Amino acid sequence: MVKYIKRISRTAVLLTMVSVLLAYSMGCRTGSNQAPEVISVHDNNDVNNDVNSVEGAVDFEHELDSYVPKKDNYNFYFTYKIVHPWWDAVALGMEEAQRQYLEQGVTVTYEYMAPDMASAEDQIKRLNQAKKGEYDVIGVDVADEAVISPVLDEMIEDDYKIMTFSSSDASEDCKRIAYVGNTHNYKDGADLTEALCKKLDYKGRVAILVGSEGAPCHEDRAKGAQDTIAKYSDMEIVAIEYDNDSIENAYNLTLDIIAEYPDLDGIICCNMSNPVGAARAITEKGADTVIVGMDHDKEALGYLKDGVIYCLGVQDCYSIGFDTIQVAVKIADGNLPGELYPEKTNEITTIIYQEDAAGMLQLLYGDVL
Amino acid sequence: MTDGKNNKSSNANKKFVRIVIIGSFLVMLVLGISTFWASRKTVTMTDEAVSAVSSFYLEAMADQRAQTISNLIDYNFEHMEKALYVLESGDIRTQEDLRKQLGDIKTILSLKRFALVDEDNIVYTQYTTYSGGSRYEFLSTDKLDKRVIYTTNQYGSSKQLCLAIPTDGLTVMNKKFKACFVLIDIEEIADLLAFEEYGGAYFSLYVQNGANLLNNELGMINEGENILEASKKFLSQKSWEQICNDFSEGKKGTLRFTTDEIKEELCYVPVHDTGWMLVVFIRESVINEQIQGISEINSRTSKLLIGVTLLSVILFAIVLIHYLHKISKGEIEAERENSRTFMSMANTDSLTGIRNKHAYSEYEGRINQQIQNGEIKEKLAVLVCDINGLKHVNDTKGHAAGDQLIKDACSLICKHFKHGAVFRVGGDEFTVVLNENGFESLNETLDGINKVIEENIKEDKVVVAIGYSTITEDDKEVHDIFERADRMMYERKKQLVEMGSKSRD
Repeated sequence: MVKYIKRISRTAVLLTMVSVLLAYSMGCRTGSNQAPEVISVHDNNDVNNDVNSVEGAVDFEHELDSYVPKKDNYNFYFTYKIVHPWWDAVALGMEEAQRQYLEQGVTVTYEYMAPDMASAEDQIKRLNQAKKGEYDVIGVDVADEAVISPVLDEMIEDDYKIMTFSSSDASEDCKRIAYVGNTHNYKDGADLTEALCKKLDYKGRVAILVGSEGAPCHEDRAKGAQDTIAKYSDMEIVAIEYDNDSIENAYNLTLDIIAEYPDLDGIICCNMSNPVGAARAITEKGADTVIVGMDHDKEALGYLKDGVIYCLGVQDCYSIGFDTIQVAVKIADGNLPGELYPEKTNEITTIIYQEDAAGMLQLLYGDVL
Repeated sequence: MTDGKNNKSSNANKKFVRIVIIGSFLVMLVLGISTFWASRKTVTMTDEAVSAVSSFYLEAMADQRAQTISNLIDYNFEHMEKALYVLESGDIRTQEDLRKQLGDIKTILSLKRFALVDEDNIVYTQYTTYSGGSRYEFLSTDKLDKRVIYTTNQYGSSKQLCLAIPTDGLTVMNKKFKACFVLIDIEEIADLLAFEEYGGAYFSLYVQNGANLLNNELGMINEGENILEASKKFLSQKSWEQICNDFSEGKKGTLRFTTDEIKEELCYVPVHDTGWMLVVFIRESVINEQIQGISEINSRTSKLLIGVTLLSVILFAIVLIHYLHKISKGEIEAERENSRTFMSMANTDSLTGIRNKHAYSEYEGRINQQIQNGEIKEKLAVLVCDINGLKHVNDTKGHAAGDQLIKDACSLICKHFKHGAVFRVGGDEFTVVLNENGFESLNETLDGINKVIEENIKEDKVVVAIGYSTITEDDKEVHDIFERADRMMYERKKQLVEMGSKSRD
């Protein structure tokens, strides 16, 4: 009898462990709001060119949740850092949510505006302009955490409903209502750098390219990169440069860096323009510098496919856009973070390697153009 | 003589029936052979036709569908121009007014995803206003100076055809607009082109670099596969180079190839101005099935027709034979009847209607045979009757009276010798044969008739001298009996003359 009970207990423990593991892995794949996630599609030596392997990186299959909007019409204003394909991808997710609301009889109209060059001043100007419009919610992709956060606080005090979205949240003490986007930029930077260090066998000289100075997402990633490098005594950071989200700048900066450090072993790129500019320069110079970087720029994916870039951290922009509209509707109805939506809606980042590049290109762009 | 004629007629009929049967068989044989030949010929010609038709058919299909896309593009451009006219003439003061107007344009002019772009590359749609500088390729230039057609596929969204036109001079809400554009979902274009007749698409759209726009399977080419890469696996090097060249130059072409012993055909045509190639694929077996289906139906119909014809021929032959048989039988019957009539006429005395001397001869022959066979030994009597004074009546009263006298005599004899066979064997001479019937009452009958005859002498009516004799053991034939009866008749004639009857003289 005792033996029998022991056997049952062992089985129960085993089943519980399996269940926990399964639940954990499922949580990872669905982009749980509870924990920041960076998913690596492959171990470094794992080769799989199947497009299915990268399908989880971007979730194009979204449906509105069961929340019933209180109004028939909503009007939003969104402003983001810079006119750039990364935010065009976010826009596609927003448009899908808008379409689904329309099917339910709810009309969502919005403006989704950005300058050609990232600028906190421009963002303030836009926010002041938005204050004059009749918008239910104003959404901000914070161009500069230090500059913009106080502006947002003032608007909150003036009873504007403010949320942040996409890549950059406001400062921790900002009173904005909620954030939808990448909550783990620091970890993204750290993970990319960890991959680079492993590739370089934890020794070498590296440079860090960052996007806009003050842009929280870029700065967080750079911080994550620096902290990771600091862990390894044989690794050294020789340069940290900002390209202001310009591919051209990234290209020139890279040329300058490798001119100064011809034996440069790696470049850590913290935004979408960095890896494109860096890869162009490295290709041009025929160097063997290992590049790790962010996002899904088509050219960057091409370099990944060709082996010029070692790995890319791909964010799920589509989900960011879709969830931004959903959360905005709930905020417009007067709901605060809690059961209906979290204060920070996290979206996943997936690190992909050369063998995933073709699948990702096919998934995001097809091979039409 | 009559039997000979019957045999001849029967033979003729048999010959005719034989000809009919052989003729029918030959007709059937010719029909059968011609049907078989026609079927074989149809199959061969069908095979030959399939190859010719399939190329023509495919090219026509491809051309037609490429034209449909061109028409769709033209239609959209035309309606975009109309939309600009509506915007120019509309009273638009606020963004809300503009959005409402754009919504109306979408509905009225059926322009899906219609948008305006201002000089700052801000895109205005019915529901959104957004910075579009990095989103649309055609916005990379400061000024749009001509129509633009290009394919776009952004970040996992469906592939779309973007049509843009410059909007020179358009100012709305004090903003200058540089372009307007529509986005057409390529899947929707595919639905428009779907080949309903086959319940599925045997076509696809590719970009000139071979990339699949519809993400569908096309024969050997898998879902979403680049046609130029995929076709390398099943095309010969020469054909593959041809398709690659044609695609890069946007030229139409047709390729025939065989995979797993199945003949297949690809036809591709460029879609004007889009950089697309419309590719139609078909397995020859599909056309074969279609045509052979029709051919089989035709073949079945022909066979049925032949069967019905053969059956009709057989039925006709049967009816004909039956009819001929019936005619033949009727003719034989008529012939027999004629023969009987002829025989009757040959054995009958035309004046009295009784049997004549010819009949007597036949009858005598049969009796003689029976006598010789021993079948008749007794109860056979022969009576010889001769009219008295016939010549005198003929000479004095005419032949008509003479004939009447003969008839009276005949009637008298027949009346009394009802059971005998009465023959007129000469001008005034009758013979009566009693063969069992009437033999027993011979004497009584003779007495009765002689009594009447003797009375007739007094009344100047018909007088007949009758002599008779019966068969004896020595008689070999009827004639022996006849001789005795004849002698007796002459004796009686004399008696009657003596009694007052007229004699020959």
